[in-house]
Amino acid sequence: MEPDLASKLVNGLRSAGINFVTYLPETRLSQILPLMREDKFFQLAPVASEAEGVSIAAGASLGGKQVACYMEGTGVFVSTYNLLTVAERFGVPMLLLVSYVGSVADKRNSFLYVRRGTRMIPVWEALGIEYQILSDGENLETRIKDAARMMHALKLPVVLLFTGEFTS
Amino acid sequence: MIRYECFEWLAPLITDQIIVTSLSGQRVEWGQLSQHEGNLLLGSMGNALAVGTGLALALPHRKVIVFESDGSLLLSLFNLPTVANLGPQNLAVFVFDNQIYSGTRISEPTATAGKTSLELIAKGSGIDDAITVRDIEQFKKTAASALTGHGLKFIVAKVEESRSHRKIQRTNMDLLENKYQFVRYLEKTEGKPIFLGRG
Repeated sequence: MEPDLASKLVNGLRSAGINFVTYLPETRLSQILPLMREDKFFQLAPVASEAEGVSIAAGASLGGKQVACYMEGTGVFVSTYNLLTVAERFGVPMLLLVSYVGSVADKRNSFLYVRRGTRMIPVWEALGIEYQILSDGENLETRIKDAARMMHALKLPVVLLFTGEFTS
Repeated sequence: MIRYECFEWLAPLITDQIIVTSLSGQRVEWGQLSQHEGNLLLGSMGNALAVGTGLALALPHRKVIVFESDGSLLLSLFNLPTVANLGPQNLAVFVFDNQIYSGTRISEPTATAGKTSLELIAKGSGIDDAITVRDIEQFKKTAASALTGHGLKFIVAKVEESRSHRKIQRTNMDLLENKYQFVRYLEKTEGKPIFLGRG
């Protein structure tokens, strides 16, 4: 991801009030990590599995933080149990920032990723979790704020799937 | 030592601590013994330590106590290095290790019935203050300091298998109701809104 787009994404999260982020570094969006690390507005929690990323974020949300959980699309398949048993079942607002690996617009798509991409949307639909696909930086701040407002309204996770320009 | 007697001793000592429980009999027993509004009775395996860690990081001035079981923790061992490195100093973790999957009702053994030590895994993960206790007096002494003291604590309480929770009437408070009770308690005691947005 180009540095300007990474800055735009981090600024969008900050504008939306997101102040606690769990993450497992991955292949597409990791340029946001050093930017968030040097910004004291964000409290970061590196994790060893996307599964605990969801559950730690849920705890922080119930403790009053505005949370995001950043992971690769692959991690969605690791964390569906936690999404279902904690985030969805208890109704916990959280923004999921997911690199949409293996999607049609993924600029680094290959046989390594494609099945994870083609199975991604059915997972969100099965979980009943709202999702938005973002492929460029246009109106990014507004779109992140919209998603954050939605998660608070629903008291549920809302997913932003990043592909296209975000995957270069 | 059985888990219920540990809980009987702990319950009157809870004041403003935040409690997170795992699944299994501990949820039923603690739910009967403690009416504390700061109880979050999760009702799933492999989540209590992570959720408690998130709460501890969000509220570093509050003591957070997690009740785990051996089966639940074994399902999410990756929590231990994560917690060790995040290092919340306000978190105390109790693992009630009965060495079985009691929900099976046929006492299927967990790995801790064999060669596995959760204390050693915790220490190897970087949680220095990890200990195993094997009788109620040792439990009381260790737990007393964990309830109020500073620092990340990890206490494995070796307990006997007990089926007494099966005779306890289960709560009719569902997970959403528990969440709202818990969140409103935090809002009241923290003096700030937890959930944003108004109708």
